[in-house]
Amino acid sequence: MESLYNVLGFPILSLSIFLPTAGALFIWMFVKDDAAVRWASLSVSVATFVVTLPLLLSFDHTTAHMQFEELHPWISSFNINYALGIDGISMPFIVLTSLLTIVCIVSAWRCIQTRVKEYMLAFLILETTLIGVFASLDAVLFYFFWEAMLIPMYLIIGVWGGKNRVYATLKFFLYTLGGSVLMLIAIMAMYFKTGGSFSMLAYMDYPFNFDWQFWIFLAFFVAFAVKVPMWPFHTWLPDAHTEAPTAGSVILAGILLKMGAYGFLRFSLPMLPDASQYFVPFMVFLSLIAIVYVSLVAMMQTDLKRLIAYSSIAHMGFVTLGTFMFTEIAIEGAVFGMISHGFVAAALFLCVGVLYDRMHTREISAYGGVVNVMPVFAVVMMFFAMANVALPGASSFVAEIMVLLGTFNPSPEAMLYMPFSMKWVAIIAASSVVLSACYTLWMLKRVLMGDLVKDEVKTLKDMNVREFSFFAPLIVLVIWLGLYPAPALDLLHVTVAHLVDQATSSKLADAALIAQGAAAHLIGH
Amino acid sequence: MAHVTFPFPFPEHLGLLLPEMIIAVMAMVLLIWDLFIPKDKKQWVAYATVLVCIVTAVAVVQVTTGLSATSFYGYFVMDPFASFAKLLILLATVFGVILSFDYMKDEENMGEYYCLMLFSVLGMMFLVSANNFVTMYLGLELMALSIYVLVGYQRNVLRSSEAALKYFILGSLASGMLLYGITFLYGVTTSFSFATIGPALGVANESAHGVVMLGLVFVLAGMAFKVSIAPFHMWTPDTYEGAPTPVTAFISVAPKVAGFVIFMRILHDVFPEVQVDYTNILVVLAAITIVVGNVAAIAQRNIKRMMAYSTVGHVGFILLGLIAANEAGYTGSLVYLTVYLFMNMGVFAIVILMRRDGMDGELLDDFSGLSKARPGYALAMGLLLFSLAGIPFLGGFWAKYAVLLPLIGAGHLYLALLAIVFSVVGAFYYLRVVKYMYFDDARVTFNFIESPAMQAVVIVSTLAIVAIGLYPDPVMQLCKQALVGFI
Repeated sequence: MESLYNVLGFPILSLSIFLPTAGALFIWMFVKDDAAVRWASLSVSVATFVVTLPLLLSFDHTTAHMQFEELHPWISSFNINYALGIDGISMPFIVLTSLLTIVCIVSAWRCIQTRVKEYMLAFLILETTLIGVFASLDAVLFYFFWEAMLIPMYLIIGVWGGKNRVYATLKFFLYTLGGSVLMLIAIMAMYFKTGGSFSMLAYMDYPFNFDWQFWIFLAFFVAFAVKVPMWPFHTWLPDAHTEAPTAGSVILAGILLKMGAYGFLRFSLPMLPDASQYFVPFMVFLSLIAIVYVSLVAMMQTDLKRLIAYSSIAHMGFVTLGTFMFTEIAIEGAVFGMISHGFVAAALFLCVGVLYDRMHTREISAYGGVVNVMPVFAVVMMFFAMANVALPGASSFVAEIMVLLGTFNPSPEAMLYMPFSMKWVAIIAASSVVLSACYTLWMLKRVLMGDLVKDEVKTLKDMNVREFSFFAPLIVLVIWLGLYPAPALDLLHVTVAHLVDQATSSKLADAALIAQGAAAHLIGH
Repeated sequence: MAHVTFPFPFPEHLGLLLPEMIIAVMAMVLLIWDLFIPKDKKQWVAYATVLVCIVTAVAVVQVTTGLSATSFYGYFVMDPFASFAKLLILLATVFGVILSFDYMKDEENMGEYYCLMLFSVLGMMFLVSANNFVTMYLGLELMALSIYVLVGYQRNVLRSSEAALKYFILGSLASGMLLYGITFLYGVTTSFSFATIGPALGVANESAHGVVMLGLVFVLAGMAFKVSIAPFHMWTPDTYEGAPTPVTAFISVAPKVAGFVIFMRILHDVFPEVQVDYTNILVVLAAITIVVGNVAAIAQRNIKRMMAYSTVGHVGFILLGLIAANEAGYTGSLVYLTVYLFMNMGVFAIVILMRRDGMDGELLDDFSGLSKARPGYALAMGLLLFSLAGIPFLGGFWAKYAVLLPLIGAGHLYLALLAIVFSVVGAFYYLRVVKYMYFDDARVTFNFIESPAMQAVVIVSTLAIVAIGLYPDPVMQLCKQALVGFI
């Protein structure tokens, strides 16, 4: 076994993955009372967050090598390993997951009154699978967590969701499953091509020829595009978001959507660079549709959660656009955008949750003049709405400006198959600055502003301390990352530079050598 | 003993048949003992049956040497492959008997019921050890005849009798087809022995290709019927629905194990020379089976019928391993059968627990609100259903994985794509049951007739599925070792 790079010399990733499930099992067996279940779940999630902090603090941002590695044989019959490791791209998502899980649990404190225990268990198990996805370095292990995530999420939407929850959760489950099974087939095909390996790092080194890259890219594309979600695979998301309980929407927008984009960064770009370059026009086209068309759709929504769901799709369009520019600034912008959107979208869904808990409706037309009765809440919601518009000073501004800069100046590899200059793309993408302002501000106007005419709204009470407590860290993070993003970006630099290097170096020359049988040593990686 | 001369040559290695002898003798002993047991103590026969199965399993382990050995002049083979299959069959039988404890308590002639189960097990054990078409046919018929009676055991219930009759008529037709196919093979090779036909078929295929193909097609059709491969699956839904539920559980697993094991033996030993031809046929059959099973299951409202079509779908997946036709493929099929045993037994155990007043408790919406009334059972059922749908951290995922990987390795990428796409379709109807249990409110009050034995079946099956899901390596190694000496 080759030496593993783990500065802590301690299986910290395994601990982060399995601590929530271990806690869940403990709660399942020993904790009976609802109040006790809440406190116990909060303790478990806080403990997990504390465990994931060393990943951030001891992270070595001078190397693109995988860190905190663990490697054990898992299923020796198929050469499947329990291989874990993180780099600058996956690390932030693990910390984000553990942070948002705390938020989810706190936000459910009052509004979930039925089957509290099952709810908390579902979230803790979901946390395990999410961290597992970001920490896996073995393709089957990755798939294992990727799919296992569906079970708790299916129950979260289905049991605690809104009126139309059964339709929404079935659609979510089947869509995602349908997309991911193609990924499984692709992974199996790569296993045979690489001579019996499921190691994701081996796939990155193996020179696949163009035909292979083409088909595997498409299989992965379906899996990731459903998850992101990219137009036209996005229709499950508004339904799922609308029907999910608040915390379900938070985790869905905050983490689940990022899994798709993470998949592009982890699988498509480094493993299939030539196919990725070939598909740049296609990906750019879909991203632009997400940015422009979906923004327009968002404008017409009458349901608050649906509006934010469509806005998430539009923001993820920015992420996929940046991903396929193959420059450091664009990809860093994409990753940064995902983190930032994780905070902002989560917070917006929490805002809707605060309103929904009081009014039990998500219809925009049911509100109006909320600022008069809930001033603190109005400030918070206004803040996150502005962050959603990417106003300077907010983290999302940094992300969008980086992606746009990257789009104006893409790498030559991204231009190989582009029929026209990327400047036009950047100009169209920049229209989102206006469009997102339109739907967000219009929504704010209808919900917060105006005269206080509706009787139900008149009796609303402002946020309490518990509710403010889960907004506070998000506000701090959004401002901090918006004003001084350098420390966060430093974590990404080396990893992203390595990724750009992988994504822009063609594998075809080596593949041709292999086809001639002249480079047998290349396969041995 | 050396001085005693028999008027006929005494079969060598008779000890290899020790497990079969135990079953045969004990089945007859129980049949007679049953006559002397008072009416209210008939449960004793059930307990004795479990004991017989356990003793037989020990005997199977005892006679397994890790090598391939034959007896009765090569008519009977005992290799790790056969003993693995026998252990699976015995395990399924133990589960089946336990599930029958309460369900069949009020039926008449309880003793005979368990004896019939033992006789069918005897047939299956001969079937998986058959090395010759004669042994195979005898085993098959002993198994089938006993099961026809078991299916129709509730003779006062109309649909039970109907199920038995349908199964019997179609089963006889299939046996006829199988025999017809065997005669063709005998015609071109003048042998019933697998070991002789195999090589001889290569020569015969050159001179009499048409006859060999006829033989192949009829044998495949006969086998396809026994393991419910579409389009020979027509009997499955009616029989599953009509049979007493413990019998449904039993016949959804044990005969499938036996059928698939002899199917593999025939394909590998008898038809290696026509592998291209049989692969083409099986690819089409597998595709039809997976599509029909998963699509038809969606329309079902009765959980037993749904599980029947689900079985058809899973049979299609098990067939994929046979199409790969190498060590990994056969290993995959065995892994699938093992996982499938636990999944089906667990699901049917819960279906039996749901029974109220005779026949109720089988409709899908009877499961409404189960998670509030009985969270433990709902959790077990949920895990089993997610496993049947093939979602990870549960055994069903690795079962699908273990057949799909060799299939892709063998170059059948399109079939793998079709299979996995329809497994998503299949996920829909399993999820629907979860929906009833978790998302809907209770329609009826649940009054479970529980017993520790039934709970044990549920707990053991669920734990097995979770354990295999988290760490499948031991099961995969076990199945791989079962093929030593066979491949």
